[in-house]
This record gives sequence, structure tokens and C-alpha cells, in this order.
Amino acid sequence: MSESEVPRKEANVLKGHEGAVLAARFNSDGNYCLSCGKDRTIRLWNPHRGIHIKTYKSHAREVRDVHVTPDNSKLCSCGGDRQIFYWDVSTGRVIRKFRGHDGEVNAVKFNEYSSVVVSAGYDQSLRAWDCRSHSTEPIQIIDSFSDSVMSVCLTKSEIIGGSVDGTVRTFDIRIGREISDDLGQPVNCISMSNDGNCILASCLDSTLRLLDRTSGELLQEYKGHTCKSYKLDCCLTNTDAHVTGGSEDGFIYFWDLVDASVVSSFRAHSSVVTSVSYHPKDSCMITASVDGTIRVWKT
Amino acid sequence: MDLDEDDFVFFGTPIEREEEITSRKKKAVAEASGQLRTLPVWKQEVTDEEGRRRFHGAFTGGFSAGYYNTVGSKEGWTPQKFVSSRKNRAEVKQQNILNFLDEDERADLEGQSLGTSMQFDTFGFTAAELARKQAEKEQQQRPSAIPGPVPDELVLPATESIGVKLLLKMGWRHGHSIKDSRPSSLYDARREARKAFLAFSSDDAKAQLTESESVQGNLESITEQPTNDDVQSYQSTPVYVRNPKQDLHGLGFDPYKHAPEFREKKRSRMSGKREMGSRKAYSTKDNLFGFKSGNVAPGFGIGALEEFDAEDEDVYAADFDFVDTYVQEVEEPSRLMTDSKPKLLAKETGVLPGFRVASNSDYQLERFDPPVIPKDFVPCHKFPGPLETNYRLADPPPPEVPPPEDNNLKLLIEGVATLVARCGKLYEDLSKEKNQSNPLFNFLTGGNGYDYYTRKLWEERQKRADQSKQQVDVKLSSSMRKMTAESRGKILGERPLERSIKDLSSSVASAEGIQLQFNLSDTFTEPASSSGLHEAVKPFKDDPAKQERFERFLKEKYQGGLRSTTSSGSSNMSEASRARERLDFEAAAEAIQKGQWGKESKHSSATGGMQFTSGGVEQAKVTEAEDLITKKMFPKREEYQWRPAPVLCKRFDLIDPYMGKPAPPPRMRSKIDTLIFTSDSAKETKVEETIIANRDFSMLQSDVQGISQDVAIKENEVEVEVENVERPVDLYKAIFSDDSDDEGETTSLKKVENPEKKIEAATTTLNRLIAGDFLESLGKELGLEVPPDLPQSTYMAKTPASQKEAANTNVGDSNILPVKNGPSSTVFSETLNREVPHNRKIAMEGRPEKNEVLHGKLAKSVGIYMETGSTENNLDKVDLEKRVHEDSKAKTPSSRYKNWNSNSSSEDERSRKQSRRHRHRSGDSDSDSSSDHRDRYRSRSKGRKKESSREKSGSSRRHSKHHKHRSRDSPGRSRYDSDREHREAKREKRKKRD
Repeated sequence: MSESEVPRKEANVLKGHEGAVLAARFNSDGNYCLSCGKDRTIRLWNPHRGIHIKTYKSHAREVRDVHVTPDNSKLCSCGGDRQIFYWDVSTGRVIRKFRGHDGEVNAVKFNEYSSVVVSAGYDQSLRAWDCRSHSTEPIQIIDSFSDSVMSVCLTKSEIIGGSVDGTVRTFDIRIGREISDDLGQPVNCISMSNDGNCILASCLDSTLRLLDRTSGELLQEYKGHTCKSYKLDCCLTNTDAHVTGGSEDGFIYFWDLVDASVVSSFRAHSSVVTSVSYHPKDSCMITASVDGTIRVWKT
Repeated sequence: MDLDEDDFVFFGTPIEREEEITSRKKKAVAEASGQLRTLPVWKQEVTDEEGRRRFHGAFTGGFSAGYYNTVGSKEGWTPQKFVSSRKNRAEVKQQNILNFLDEDERADLEGQSLGTSMQFDTFGFTAAELARKQAEKEQQQRPSAIPGPVPDELVLPATESIGVKLLLKMGWRHGHSIKDSRPSSLYDARREARKAFLAFSSDDAKAQLTESESVQGNLESITEQPTNDDVQSYQSTPVYVRNPKQDLHGLGFDPYKHAPEFREKKRSRMSGKREMGSRKAYSTKDNLFGFKSGNVAPGFGIGALEEFDAEDEDVYAADFDFVDTYVQEVEEPSRLMTDSKPKLLAKETGVLPGFRVASNSDYQLERFDPPVIPKDFVPCHKFPGPLETNYRLADPPPPEVPPPEDNNLKLLIEGVATLVARCGKLYEDLSKEKNQSNPLFNFLTGGNGYDYYTRKLWEERQKRADQSKQQVDVKLSSSMRKMTAESRGKILGERPLERSIKDLSSSVASAEGIQLQFNLSDTFTEPASSSGLHEAVKPFKDDPAKQERFERFLKEKYQGGLRSTTSSGSSNMSEASRARERLDFEAAAEAIQKGQWGKESKHSSATGGMQFTSGGVEQAKVTEAEDLITKKMFPKREEYQWRPAPVLCKRFDLIDPYMGKPAPPPRMRSKIDTLIFTSDSAKETKVEETIIANRDFSMLQSDVQGISQDVAIKENEVEVEVENVERPVDLYKAIFSDDSDDEGETTSLKKVENPEKKIEAATTTLNRLIAGDFLESLGKELGLEVPPDLPQSTYMAKTPASQKEAANTNVGDSNILPVKNGPSSTVFSETLNREVPHNRKIAMEGRPEKNEVLHGKLAKSVGIYMETGSTENNLDKVDLEKRVHEDSKAKTPSSRYKNWNSNSSSEDERSRKQSRRHRHRSGDSDSDSSSDHRDRYRSRSKGRKKESSREKSGSSRRHSKHHKHRSRDSPGRSRYDSDREHREAKREKRKKRD
């Protein structure tokens, strides 16, 4: 893969957040993106045209993660106020608040059917919340982690959580099994490859690790960036050809998936790049940074 | 409408916001605009915004505050009129804030004025006053040669503080406030009035009891300076007044001789006055005539000169007294005296009134020149004694020598060394001379034991130097700030390692090093086996502090004994860096173990190249090694059971894998649980330890028994866990039939023995042991391979691969055996136990694997298992090597165990012993290795009967155990240990939960 295929050109800058932007996420079809940040708001953007569409305000503290359902009708968000908010996208109202985490909530995801929200919290637990019923109690608490759970990924039948205790744990609902892959380093963020066979885990030793999900084997390590104290996102490109991630020095790195060489790295932001999100279909990427901007990158 | 608008005339209509106007307000507005405007002031009602009549409070005016709803009094704010007549001269009033204040406000204001408390008697007044009061009291009590008031010269203020001196220099005088002087117009006027008054009142005054007053008054009028009065009136600090004889009585004449009551009165009054910290201004008028409010003499009436306050008071009160007139008698002139002659300063210098300070005196202070300092004088004192020792200490110490074989000689040498250290070289020479012929004292002259003697002597000297240096140390505290690692180590009471001393010897010149050469308590002895090696090795030579820590680390790692709690690194290191360093140390220690360092250090001494530096190449090497380890180690896959909630399955549109299965028991999970479980691996390592430690056959056997039980328990736990999954029925039966057998035995024994629970548990253990023996023999008979001592011998030699094999076969056995054998669990575990010493992980890994087996995927699972096993082995080796050093500790309990096991006495006795041991277990922290097994066993045997109770007791027992382990093990535990611990904890948790 050549460097040209990597989105390096800044297409848009989305400004509006006051203070650090903690996460930026494409929606499922990649037409919109959501961002959330220290200013306690969630913002909906059209990254391709660079338009700010809507702001969702209700969180009492910083918003750490946001996720939108595949049908774009609902949002879930979480943050420092220990709550998970379940929003209606169009009206901007909070449909439900899920309380129960004993600490800040680091990450949140919808499942495939948007019926369950799974949240990962500082209280060393993953919690699954039911969006269908009116119960505000979690339907499942997974607390086998021994440190803050930083990130969560969902597949059709699995819940995968990455924790500071160095483990990536896969909870297979179908067979009732927990598979723990101990990486030995605090795991910051995990993301699935598009084919679903690998997990990319960002560790706090400034290394991204690619794990084979079936065997738990360490396939590759990606180094070069700085990730020592921040929760930095990482992800694979839409073609799974590259691995990308932010760095604490404001750079974005692109590695070749197979040989782990740095394909490209450039300064994208003036400060820590907290979040990266890759367009599901096109070669387009958004990055969010502590400097308060979200930048859209295209080839 | 606002309150203050009521009295104003409005032009135009006020803009009002409609929503603010309530009905009542409207009414109020109407009233205000209508009638109120017409009413006279005193009939008007004041309303608030809401239209209610304003209520000022019951005690602050009721409904009408002030003077008819106005402020102030009848006069209000109107200026006072100027009225003056010939007789009644008006005083030009200078208005002052005080004039407009209420009584209480004034009091407040006065409260703000400065006054000294007894504690902060800057001006020494309080002390003086106290002294005076005291003197007065004494005066009253004892008959005095000089009657009358206290001769004040005798009562001097205790001190004159620097503040007073400064103020005096600045022109302040005693008895005056430090405020600006007020315009004196009022008092000028008063003075004039007083003069006028005097003219006609002197007769009356004479008609009074004494004439002295009038005399005095005259005197005053004569001596008075125009400015005096107002200055006096400002006096806010009590003046220390001397009373020169100013009256015209003869010396010793007491005007109160026949009227002592007056004197008493006066005295009490005076003292009372003095007690007031900040006195109100005494107007001279008051002083003179005593026309104080309330104390007006009858017949005088109310004078025009009286203050306004006086009008309220009962002037003609019955209890009049004249005393006031006299009271001031003594005081007043004295003031005049001091004030009119301020230059005299009689009271300050203590010069008697009427005397003068001589202008020149015969007395001259003789001054001597300072002594001439010799040129070679060094203004720094040397302490010859301690320093001498220090220098001696700085000499390279003789090498550590093992004591001579002969114990007597050793004692003798030590004794002589102590004496020599105490008495000096002289003693040595003396004894050398004396004992020249004595072969015992050969060591003095270089014979047998000379080395040891020199070493001992050096040590003793150091010890002594330490004692003598205690005082010096205090002085050196400043230099101690710049603490080197050596000094720190010494403060911590460590024996200086060979290296650091050598270092010092190389840099003897550094004075600090010499001074800080502390002594070493003998608490820490040289490590017996490993020390030589480790001390010779200096992987962090360039960073002495780090080296120090490293050595400490080594010591902790390989040695037991006392250690300071703070020893793990310097306090100013961050947690992260400490952990990092720890890893470095670990790696270095490992390298040393391999003997690598022995060579390298030789090289380094020659080339000086290969050294550990804090950030150098060697560091990289270490991290590389570390990386290697981590790479081998991570990622590490483990599999556990996890039960998703049915709702979750539903929401994920999946079939609940546990559908139809009973719900898991409600787990109680508290934070404490997680905390406690973290040290779970401790007991596992213990098992390993004991195995490795014991070479003795019987010992081993006993331990094997222990382990077998251990493993059996684990096995059992696994089974319990897997219960939900499908499982061959015969295996299930095999295990549980065994249980029932045991149960039978236990119960039968129970009848025989004391039904007490502890003993019961003990007997079950015993039975188990016996059964184990029996089964072993049975196994031999059946041709099964049950070698009790084989694992021991094989382990050390075996490569991981062979271990794999062994483990593999074991696994095979474990799967087959239970089916074959009736009381299978023990045999099962027996075979399994071979794994345990090799690699505890294997036994543990057996769990998921077994589950897999039960699912029928034998081959694959074994593969996985083998992999994990092999990786674990490497790690374990590291651990094992460490643990070898703990042999001695491990041995004691196991040997006890052995004795206990081989004891052929009656079962009763055994059980008794055992129970005793159980009872004492809590206190005995070292006896755990064997009792652990029993413990677990016991919990297991109980658990068979009642599963839930098993869970509980097992876990609780483990808790207590962990506590013990933790307290003992924690400092030296390696990272891998903690890692394992981690996993263990998780597993434990899971077990519990499931």
C-alpha cells in the first residue's frame, strides 16, 4: 500500500467545542459524525461539508464517548458524571439515563440491534443496559476486570473490553465463556478489524498490538507514536490495510498492517490527538484533539 | 413604592412595572398619594414595599422608629445653637464622630482602640501596674514608716520595652495616647470656665474637710501650662505616676489620720481607675472638682459645666461622698509635674524629684582593649578524638574474614579487639608484649587469626566511632542534607557493603564521606550463600544510589531477617520509576544468577566498559531482556466460564448457553474480596517451594500427600465448576463415590474420637493420608506409575519439552484413572501432583483444558495447554531459583510434618497434635506450608458434605491465609509472582462467583 492511499489532506476543520474533544465517531454510514468533549456537549456534524448540525447538552461532566445506532435514531453517551445517556437524535432529548457505575464511564457502545448499551467504566466493570425496557438497572455487570475498563467493542455475540489491567477480555454470550488475553500493558483502547478477526489494542507503552481473536496470538506491534498517559484511540482503515492512531504529540500515524512500518505520519493537531475514526467505506478519517478541533482528512 | 419616596415631591409619574404592583401595594400607593402626604410627620405611618406598616421591632422603636419616624432625637441632626453669656460661656463644640454615636456604639468604638493585654505587655505598663497594686496592697497591710501613699520610686516598672523607648525618642510621653492631638478649643474653653469657677468655689472647697484641695487647685492653676490639659485628656494609657510631695503638710503628716475611711475610699478608687485598660478621658474639670456625673457633692447643684449625660442621673443621691475631691488630690499635681517639666524625665531615670542628674561624674567606665589574637589562631575547634578515629575508619577496611574454627580463639580475638578499640593502640602493644610467648595471642603478631582480629578491630573501632560521633552528627546535620547513598544506607542501619567502602577508600579526600562514615549495626549479617557473589557484582556502579538500592533489593530477595520498611527505594522516587527499577533489578539479579556477572564484572574492572548505567546501553540490554520475557509471556490467553444474563442473550438475539441451568448462587462481592484475593499465588508457590526443598523421601512423601490433597481440592473445584457442563457420568460417580467412602470413614472415626470439629477435620486429614499411602501401594500393585519421588528428581534436569511430555501423560492418566479406581480423586491427584512441582500453572491450566476434554476436544486442548505450560516453565524457573533460598524456612514445617507423619503412635495422639497445631496455626506464621494443605483439605472434606459451606469456609480460610502470606512474602515478590497472583485472584473470584 502506498502512502497516497492514506488520507493526508485536511478536508475540513470542525470547530465548536470549547476545550478538548475527547471522542469523534462516524456514524454507521459515514455521512455524519459525532463528537464529544470536555465542554459537556455532544455535537453532531456533517464532516464532509464541515457543518455543525446539532448540540446535545445534558451531561454534567465531560463526555467521554458517544455512539450512535446504525439507524441513526438514537445516541448513547457517557462521561465523567457516571451516567450513560440515551438520546433521541432528532429531538435532542434524553430518553433515559442509566446510573449505576461507581466511577466515570469511559466508553459506551450499542449492540447490533441497538437494544443494549454496553458501557465500560472506571469502576472496573462493564455494564450492559437495556434500552428496550424501562428498567434502569444494568442487565449484566461484568466485573472480572481488575482495573479501569477503558474501551469496549461489541460484535454480534461478543462483548470485548480492554482494561488498564492489561487484559482484553472477550465475553462470548453464545457459549458463555470469557477469554482473557493478557497483554501485560495497560490497554487504552481496543478496536475491531473490519473483518472481525483481529483486535487492535492500544497500550500505554506506546504500542499498538494486533491480536488474533481466535488464538489470542500477538500478530503485530505498531510503534513510533507516543501514548503514555492519554486515552488515545486507534483504528484500522476501512480496507484493513493500515492501522492508524493518534499520538500525544499531535501526530497521526499510519502503519502498514502487515509489516508494521510507519507508512505515514504527520502533524495533524497542535495537541494530543485523542480520537480517530475512520470512514466505514471511503478513505476518510476524522481526528479529534485536545486543541478543541476535529479535523477531517481525505486522500 | 419605596419607603424613602414618601417624603418627597414627585414630578411626573414614576415608571412602574405592572406585575410588581400587588393589590396591597396599590392600596399603599393610594394612601401615600392621598392622605399621608397631608398628615404631619408624627402621624404618618411608614409602610414597606408591600404596603404593610413597618415594624421596626419591639425594642427598636415599634412601629415608629427614631423620632416620629425620623431619625435621631428631638434635635435630630440640627446643629447645636451657640449660646453664650458672661457667666455661662459657650464652649465651641467641635463636632466629632463620637458626638453622633450612641452609647453602645461609642463603647464599640472604644473597644477598637488599642490596648495591651497582659500577654503582650509591650509597654511594660501592665507589669508596672501589677507591681504598683501589689505594693499598694502591702502598704495597706503593713504599718509603714512613711505613711501615706506608696513612694513610687520604690515601685518601678519592671521593664521599659524597646517600644516605649522608641516612642519616647519620638516625643511620646507616658500616659498619652498615640493619637493625634485634638484641637484644644473645647478644653481651652473649659479651662477658662474652671478658672472662673475657682474664683467663687474656693471658699466652699475650704469649707470642705481639707484645705489641701484648694491649695492644690491654686497650685495647679499656677503651674498649669496652657497645652497640658488637652494632652492629658487624651491620655488613654494609664500613666505610671509618681507622687512627689506637693502639698504643704509636713513630712509624715497624714491628713487622713483621723479619717482613715477617706483614705480607704481614695485608694480603692484609684486602683479601680487604674484597672480600666483604656480610660475615658478625664477632663481636668472633673478631676478638679469631682463633678463627675453621679458623684456630685450636695449643695453644689448642677453646674453649667456639667456634661449632658449628667441630667439623667440622680444628682441628689443619698450616698454622696466627698472623696472624689480628695482622690484626685494626689494624682493631679503629679501629672502636672511631669507634664510641665517634660525634660526632666524624673520618673524614667529614677531620679528623685528635686534632684538633678549630675552633669559630670567622677565615675568613668574603664574600657579595656580586646586581647590580641595570635596570628596562627584558627577560629575553628578541632576535635582530635573522633576525627582521628574517622581517619582510621577511612582506611580501607580489612577484608571480611571468617572467624577461626576455634570458638575460644574467636571469643578471645573479639574480646581483645573490643578492648583495643576502647583503650587504643597502647593496649594492643601492651598485650603483644605481655603475651609474646603465649601461643593463644599469636593473632596479635600476625599468626593464626590475625586477619580476623584486624577485621574485628576495625569493626569495633567503627562502632566506637559511631558512639563518639553522635554529638558531631548533630552539627553535621547541614552537610547531611546532601546525603549520599552510602550515608543513607548507613542511617538505615545497614552494614556497608564491601564496594561502598572501597569506593570511599578511593576517595578518602572527600571529607563528607569521612564524616558520614557511620557505623553499622550488626543486625544485618552477611548473607551466607549468595552474598559473596552479589556483593562482588556491581551492575549499577555508575549510580551509587541505584547500586545501593539494588543491593538492598538483592538482600531482600535472597535473605530473610529484619528489613526496614522503607528500604525499597528512596522515597523521592515515583511509583512508576520504582517499579521500573525493580524490573531492572530483577533482570540484573537474574543475570547475576546465571553467573554472567561474575565474568562481566571482571571485565569491567579491567576495561571499565561493561557496566550498568542508569540510562545507558546496559539499561537497554536489561529492557531487552525484559522485553524478551514479556514477549514470551504476553499475550497470554486464559479462558473462564462466564454466564451472561438471560436478558442480555435475549437482547443480543442469542440463545442463552445456560438456559435451563440453575441460576448461579448469589455471589457476595465486596471490595475486600478483591483485595484479599490478590495474594492468592502465595500459597501455590508455597507448595512448589516445599516440594523443591524437600529431598528427603519421607518428607517428600508427606508433602506429596499434601499436594495431592491440594490438587484434589482443585480438581474438585474444577468439577464443581464444570458441573453445569455435560460430563461423563462415571467420572462424576467416581469422584463422588470416593467422597462417600471418605465420608463413611470419617463418620466411623468420628464415633471413636472426640466429636469436636477440629479434631474431626484432623482425622479426616489423617485418613486421607493413610488412604493416600494405601492407594499408592495399590497403584503400584496395579502397575500404575505412581512414583512419589520421581517428580522431584526429574524436575531439575528436565527440559520444558520433557515436562510437557510428563504433563501430557499425566493428563492422560488423570483422565483415565478416576474411571478405573474407586477412591479415585486421591490417585487422580497423586498423578497430577507431578505437575504441580514442575509448574503449578499446569495444574491450574488443567481446568479449562479439562473442560475441553469433557467437550471431547482432547487433542486441541492439550496443544493449548502444552503451549501455555512451556511458557510458564521459563517463568517458573526464575521463581524457583529464588525460592531455593527459602528452603530453610520451608523445611521446618515440613520436617515437622514428616515427624508427624512417620509417627506410628496411636491415631488419637496424632489427631491431638494436629488439632493443637490447628489451634496454634493462627499465631504460627511459619507452619503454614503443611497446615495449608490440611487446611484446604479440611475445608474440602467439609465441603463435600455441604457444598455451600465448603465454598464459604474455603474462601474464608484462604483469606486468612493470604493475610499471613502477604505479610511475609510481599517485599521480595517478583513481578511474575504478582502477575500470577493476579490471575489466581481472578480465578479465585470466578470460582467463588460460579
